[in-house]
Amino acid sequence: MSTLVAPRPQGTRRPNTWGFGGSLLLGVACLVVFLPFLWVLLGSFKTGSQLNDPTLITFHPNLANWRDVIDSGILQAAGRSALVGIITVSISVVIGSMGAYSISRYKTGGSATRFGILAAQVLPPAVLVFPFLDMAFRLRINDTLAVVVIAHLSFVMPVVTWFLIGFFDAAPKEIEEQAMVDGLSRFAAFRKVVLPQVAPGIGASAIFGFVLSWNDLFYALILAPGNAATLPVRIAGFNTFRGVELGSMCAAILVSIVPVLIASFFIQRRLVRGISGGAVKF
Amino acid sequence: MKAITLRKSAIAAGTAAILALVSACSSGSTSSSAAPAASAGISADTAGTVRVLMEGVPDTDIVKGLLAEFNKKYPKITVNIESIVYDQIRDKIVASFQAPTPTYDMAIIDNPWMGDFAKAGFLKPLDDYIKNTPNYDYQDFSAPLRAIGEVDGKTYGVPFYNYGLGLIYRTDLFKTAGLTEPTTLAELATAAKKLTTPTRAGIAMQPQRGYKAFEEWGNYLDAAGGSIYGSDGKVHLNTPEAKLALNTYIQMYKTSAPKNSLNWAFDEALRAVSSDKAAMMVSYNWMLPTLNKQGGPAGALAGKFKLATMPGGKQILGLWDWAIPANSKVSDAAWAFISWLTSKEGEAARVSAGGAPVRTSVLTDPAVASTGGGADYFATVGKILGNAEPLCHGSSCDEMINAVGTELNAAIAGQKSVDAALLAAETQANKIQTQ
Amino acid sequence: MSFRLRMMAPLLALFVGSVGYPLLYAFYLSLTSYRITHRWDTHLVGLRQYNDVLHNSDYWSALKVTGTFVFLAVTLELCIGLMIALALQRQKRIRDFTRSFLLTPMFVTPIAVGLMFRFLLNQQLGALPAVLGHLGITYDFFGSGNALYSIILIDTWQWTPFMVLLLLAGLESLPRQPFEAARVDGASAFYTFRRITVPMLAPVLVVAVLIRSLDAMKVFEYVYAITRGGPGTETQTIQYFTYQTGIQFYRLGNASAMSYLLLAIVLTIVVFLFRRIERSRRS
Repeated sequence: MSTLVAPRPQGTRRPNTWGFGGSLLLGVACLVVFLPFLWVLLGSFKTGSQLNDPTLITFHPNLANWRDVIDSGILQAAGRSALVGIITVSISVVIGSMGAYSISRYKTGGSATRFGILAAQVLPPAVLVFPFLDMAFRLRINDTLAVVVIAHLSFVMPVVTWFLIGFFDAAPKEIEEQAMVDGLSRFAAFRKVVLPQVAPGIGASAIFGFVLSWNDLFYALILAPGNAATLPVRIAGFNTFRGVELGSMCAAILVSIVPVLIASFFIQRRLVRGISGGAVKF
Repeated sequence: MKAITLRKSAIAAGTAAILALVSACSSGSTSSSAAPAASAGISADTAGTVRVLMEGVPDTDIVKGLLAEFNKKYPKITVNIESIVYDQIRDKIVASFQAPTPTYDMAIIDNPWMGDFAKAGFLKPLDDYIKNTPNYDYQDFSAPLRAIGEVDGKTYGVPFYNYGLGLIYRTDLFKTAGLTEPTTLAELATAAKKLTTPTRAGIAMQPQRGYKAFEEWGNYLDAAGGSIYGSDGKVHLNTPEAKLALNTYIQMYKTSAPKNSLNWAFDEALRAVSSDKAAMMVSYNWMLPTLNKQGGPAGALAGKFKLATMPGGKQILGLWDWAIPANSKVSDAAWAFISWLTSKEGEAARVSAGGAPVRTSVLTDPAVASTGGGADYFATVGKILGNAEPLCHGSSCDEMINAVGTELNAAIAGQKSVDAALLAAETQANKIQTQ
Repeated sequence: MSFRLRMMAPLLALFVGSVGYPLLYAFYLSLTSYRITHRWDTHLVGLRQYNDVLHNSDYWSALKVTGTFVFLAVTLELCIGLMIALALQRQKRIRDFTRSFLLTPMFVTPIAVGLMFRFLLNQQLGALPAVLGHLGITYDFFGSGNALYSIILIDTWQWTPFMVLLLLAGLESLPRQPFEAARVDGASAFYTFRRITVPMLAPVLVVAVLIRSLDAMKVFEYVYAITRGGPGTETQTIQYFTYQTGIQFYRLGNASAMSYLLLAIVLTIVVFLFRRIERSRRS
């Protein structure tokens, strides 16, 4: 993968106007991303009456909202979201990589499998949720994280598998064929030779899958609304059309953003490298 | 010998203990579908844990505050109150109603849901419980409120707190403009126009598509002398009163409401009124004590508000009922709580703490009148509760309210003519309710 | 069992359990009169639900709203995303920070983004209308005629980083030689872009647009948090409409039929597009 990208010779320079325009664009983009976060940050420290004034910037910060939010169990909800995400992604990656390998190398099922996987993405959750709810009642797992994981698998697994098919497609066959000639079984070759090659791609798919699960509101809202509430459900709980706790809502939003901000610093490099490793070829 | 005798007596003692335990248990919470235990109400020995889901509103906090008092009479019943936002309540309780083991043993039901839930068999009929509770005085509940909980001849809910609407206005601004409480819809429109200044709207309106639009406009319909349902039990919105009401509403929205408020709901209107950006609003009657509270949301305007009935005296009513799910396994304990809280004493305690009343006796109780909004306020509430109609009765109310509210909002937004919108609203409403 | 089938088996099993079963059950539901509040009264009604849906003007209007939303949002995200990706690729200083920072919106849970913008753009409380007010502009972000575009802007704020990610990855994996050759030949930046970058990036563009479009079709959180489908039915997207019909109005049989019709429509479009791409690739 990196062999395709030869380093640029020293001393070459792009025309300055394009460079300047690019920097300006990035600056504006950063501002557009930053300002809503800033507004929410300020809001989380304001009291009810201070919130009525949208342009109030300097004021004495108040911690009441933060206390309310932490008391409301939002950190536990975030923990539950993370747990669901990790379990969902782990299952998806393990099972998906095996299946994706089979589809990529052996064309199992032909193009029907690729379309089939896509089809799963199209159906709106509003329809799939009731069969899940019914199943949850029968298996007595309603309002638990288990049923949320099953529901999340329905949309994470296809995406992860689909990405992995692309990664496997891009990985050259010669290396594993060489390994098998050297005496490794097919599964061993898969595990020891192919997987490490595709590792950045697996990382990228895992991150995508995790984000999809982390962000889901719909399934969690209906399948696990009570004791097993995930973070988005909790945040939705601050939104009402009959009276809003705006300050607490700002604090809750920040609680969900800050870990994400920190994580994305670590993730982005890996993400870009992983995806450029071949998944996005079709 | 001695050992055997000891053993025998141990067994005898053990059996007696078990029998005692079993009889104690079965006399309490586990008899759910059988007739209630004693005709002297629910025994104070009843044990059980009752879980209930409620909305995060002041009345819920008041109920939580009364739990200690409840436990003095029923020490073995634990009531667990979970409070969340309105939007999530219905889906959660519907899920619980259908689950093999319920998540909630008691429920509060909003009036639009009552018809559907009762007919779907989700709720337990309470007639026997009511009959067998001494001094309950079910007739003391305001008549329109009782009607909401009664479906197909059976009672499925008893009133918890009302949200009847009324006109809330600024007394100081009325005085300066030389206005008196409007007695007709036209007077209301004139008053709103007169109170409109460049910095303050005459009236904050809530035309948000769906529930809010219908809830607010319904009051205008009542003020115009109309009503939502006809004597044939069908929705009648294609009437001259409805057209007058909608035309007046749109006129007022254009001239006397805050700019760009097409999407406004409760929040926005309250903010406008409490920050002196609007002089009046049609809102829930119990907003008055909140607005008049020193140190409350109205800030410096506290004490300047008054509650009036809608012009003509008829308005829209909303109600939360207490109900027991059909799959509840602790119905006796649940009824113990419900009957205690909604009894005359319980109600007096709740209303004194600021709750919205549902019993007519409480409204005239001088002890209660001295608290909260004052005698004047309670007298007005009495008038409101005496002459009010809910937005919908029967089945599929959520859908019916949404359909009518969507048509109304389309007319207010200018996307449809008044006549077309009202006709469509009526047709759809009837179609939905008879499907 | 052969190796390839053994590798496929777990995936297939999981697929059947978590996707196949609900799909089939939902299809069965679409052939019944199922309503959550009338469960005992459920009977098969053949294609009546489908007939109802096809004649329901609200359904077609929801499809139209969704189609408009997807088209405008994805186009905007593609254009802005491409520009940002190009700029990021050329950036030499503080690369890591800018990249991480610009990617953050896509990691925030959409309901939080919806609520954030609900109040940022709120007439009474929001900073943006206040600032615009100082400049003498009054613009009702969620008023009639504007609400859909505001939702599109919110979607763009959140998901352009996703496009940036895919496009940047694509750009970084492009071979250097054609660009070097073009530079040596004296080609202008615009020419390079049009004749070299875009064609080479085409597969990536297709994937990015496809994934983003399928996702955009399911937009729900922003509508749920802010407009609830209004004003009128201007922001009533198909996902929200199906939710409303099936869960809020209890008519799950009807909602299932709506979704299956949507599936049929979208699959047709997708298959059609794929065939076109295959054909153009072969040529």
